[in-house]
Amino acid sequence: MDFDRRGLLKVGGLTLLGFLVKPGWQVFSKDEPAEPSPGAETLARRRWGMGVHLRKCWKDEGCTDCIDACHRVHNVPDLGTLKEEIKWIWRTPYEEVFPEHEFEVTEEDYQRKPVMVLCNQCDNPPCVKFCPTRATWRREDGIVMMDFHRCIGCRYCMAGCPYGSRSFNWRDPRPFIKKVNLDFPTRTRGVVEKCNFCEERLAQGLIPACVEACKEKALIFGDLKDPRSEIREALKLKTLYQRMPELGTKPKVYYIL
Amino acid sequence: MIPVFQYSNIPSASNTMMLNKQTKIIGEDKVLFDHIWKTGKGFYITISILGALVLWGLYAYVTQYRTGLGVTGLSRQIFWGVYITDFVFFIGISHAGTFISAVLRVLKAEWRRPISRLSELTTVFILMFGVGSVLIDLGRPDRMLYAIRYAHFTSPLLWDVCSITTYLTVSSLSLYLALIPDIAMLRDLGGRREWFYRILSLGWRGTEEEHRRLDKAIGFVSVLVIPVMITVHTVVSFVFAMTIQPLWHSAVFGPYFVVGAIFSGVASVIVVMAILRKAYHLESYIKPIHFNNIGVFLMAMTLLWFYFTFAEYITVAYGNEPVHMAIFWSKISGKFAPLFWLHFTLCFVIPLPILAIRKYRTIRGTVIASISIVLGMWLERFVIIVPTLTRQRMPVAGAFYVPTWVEWSILAGCISLFILLYALFTKVFPIVPVWEVREGREKAAASVAARIESYMPETGPSRD
Amino acid sequence: MYDGKKIVPGLILFLGLVTYPLWHNLASGKLNYVPKLKLPADKKECVEPKEVIRLNHKTLLEEWRNSVVRNAGKTYVAYNKKTYTMSLNRTCMNCHKDKTEFCDQCHNYAGVTNKCWDCHVYPKQLEEKQS
Repeated sequence: MDFDRRGLLKVGGLTLLGFLVKPGWQVFSKDEPAEPSPGAETLARRRWGMGVHLRKCWKDEGCTDCIDACHRVHNVPDLGTLKEEIKWIWRTPYEEVFPEHEFEVTEEDYQRKPVMVLCNQCDNPPCVKFCPTRATWRREDGIVMMDFHRCIGCRYCMAGCPYGSRSFNWRDPRPFIKKVNLDFPTRTRGVVEKCNFCEERLAQGLIPACVEACKEKALIFGDLKDPRSEIREALKLKTLYQRMPELGTKPKVYYIL
Repeated sequence: MIPVFQYSNIPSASNTMMLNKQTKIIGEDKVLFDHIWKTGKGFYITISILGALVLWGLYAYVTQYRTGLGVTGLSRQIFWGVYITDFVFFIGISHAGTFISAVLRVLKAEWRRPISRLSELTTVFILMFGVGSVLIDLGRPDRMLYAIRYAHFTSPLLWDVCSITTYLTVSSLSLYLALIPDIAMLRDLGGRREWFYRILSLGWRGTEEEHRRLDKAIGFVSVLVIPVMITVHTVVSFVFAMTIQPLWHSAVFGPYFVVGAIFSGVASVIVVMAILRKAYHLESYIKPIHFNNIGVFLMAMTLLWFYFTFAEYITVAYGNEPVHMAIFWSKISGKFAPLFWLHFTLCFVIPLPILAIRKYRTIRGTVIASISIVLGMWLERFVIIVPTLTRQRMPVAGAFYVPTWVEWSILAGCISLFILLYALFTKVFPIVPVWEVREGREKAAASVAARIESYMPETGPSRD
Repeated sequence: MYDGKKIVPGLILFLGLVTYPLWHNLASGKLNYVPKLKLPADKKECVEPKEVIRLNHKTLLEEWRNSVVRNAGKTYVAYNKKTYTMSLNRTCMNCHKDKTEFCDQCHNYAGVTNKCWDCHVYPKQLEEKQS
């Protein structure tokens, strides 16, 4: 090759490409985390699940204790409009949660009764697939985690979730939080949030706030891998429902009728 | 402005030589250079209006940046709206340039010569606004680079980032390569901007060898950009098709979006062509035959678009699944029916007779059809994105989406900025590729005749 | 110099404007300003030695953040083999109680903005809010 201007451009181009090999390799081969996380093995020994005992819950249909507890503990703001509301756990009429249970000929009296609905912490979560920055991921113990530091607010996870479990901060939430809980951060505007199975409480050995707050003990929580756990006992020999199981998301919230 | 024309009343040896050289370069194509040097009142008025709109759009965005996305009409239920529509729409329009510049070049259609640069330019500039629309839609735009730093490649948004970056790079390269001989021409004309053109022309001398190399390079890039073009809008469609939302999760979305993109892109090129032709008096270069040829192709695309839309909706309706039908009916006869039928009218009912009947396929006719198509295609994107979100898979009552002034202002600002940048480009470079037109004038007839000769069956005594 | 009568005064004015921050601080005595940090009364050592933590606290907090949020690892072993919980509020702010009297003193002086407090609530802030 002649060392004229074309030759210089060729050599320069190849050198530049060469400089990109190392960082390019790092970007494309990186998998989070680089080493397995220190708690991975411990975490993987459990698989958290929740049961919602509907008839116990319906003993007091106007009750919102679990919602109040969750939203208080996690500094969930009350924005007051359907447009911008943020909710981690909420009530929906039965016929909207399980539309497939409504038949022309049955006269069920519980179609309008409230059912507690939250993030199903799926074992095969679509939201995790769609996040471009891995701000949401499935932890080894089954909880679908949110990293509010990394979320860029594209809302693709909200498009992926078939259950509508996720909320977005359309504005700064701080002015709308009645009483700030010091032990848990608030979020900024522009990030997505959802129920996290109280993973920060689980780390301290406490049960989720909603489960603790329920007077009727309608919410059952525990380790699905442990055959003697409270939840496994509660789920035995009962008719169990899940939301849209045919989608293959493998939700871990069970409804006991 | 060209300086020597002013000094031409002072006769001198060097001035005459300069004048002769310039006359030789400009030749009979003075009108192709006029728009660079002559700026009329109309241009300044247009720039002022566009500038005002851009500033207004900027103000709207600053409002959004300071308060949050709550200033839009978006909600917990319908969280993607005008911005994502803009994104898909702008990326769709970007397919214009590739089709007219690259595909027609590969197919050796000589009539593409005057219009290849203006369509390529549409592609390059509008792609930036496609990307910009997504960034405007982010909740935390200060973290936009996290998508690259912490890239998670199972996400179709990342595939988008890769394919659109590739497309932008290759299209820019294609635009620049085809510009080089014209930049060299402007350099040789001298004047105050000569240093600028000299740097960009990369020492082009116009030799046979250089032309051969340039032809090879442009040919390579043209062939390369065609699969990239198909990939780009397929990947954009995958953002929706990969979810399990009803009426989004459809295998036909890939080709449907590509066809829609080429459709809206070519229509927008017709509009651009008509405006430039009128504003810069390019009537002898951009002729009715260009509009006619593209009009025929646009008619084919109208029918193809109708085919995909029909296939999509008939399969949904025939399947009759409740989750899908709820949204289907909201589009056909429910909340979104006015927008749905409006878009269908604009995309099919109005353009087809205009483009199909030769009598109406005039310049004015094709432009009317094209404007209708461009508006209809924006609505088509909207009608694909929003109705699914009103319900997703659950019976949710009362969700509706009304875009606010912020979203409309930002859309207006983006379009204005695009036109503004386009207009400024025409002040620096010729919008009709002079060298390609001249190459056509000199060599096209002969090369086409030779090519046709090669197709003809062999005549003469048979070889035994 | 051609046009010297315009250039020289213009140049002096330009240099004056450009070096304004320097001579203004010198004149008003701000140049001698040193941030006054209120150090915790009872604790004598931080999780890392003073010089190290002064330089590296940003990186340290980012490592802690990734470890706690993403890797479920909450325990930090310091240089002196002591273990601490990786937490901004429970460890750092446990000693440096008020961010306005500690963190902000240097951050404001150096013009550093951080977004930690957009989400994390420090004790004094909560008191102010509730009152």
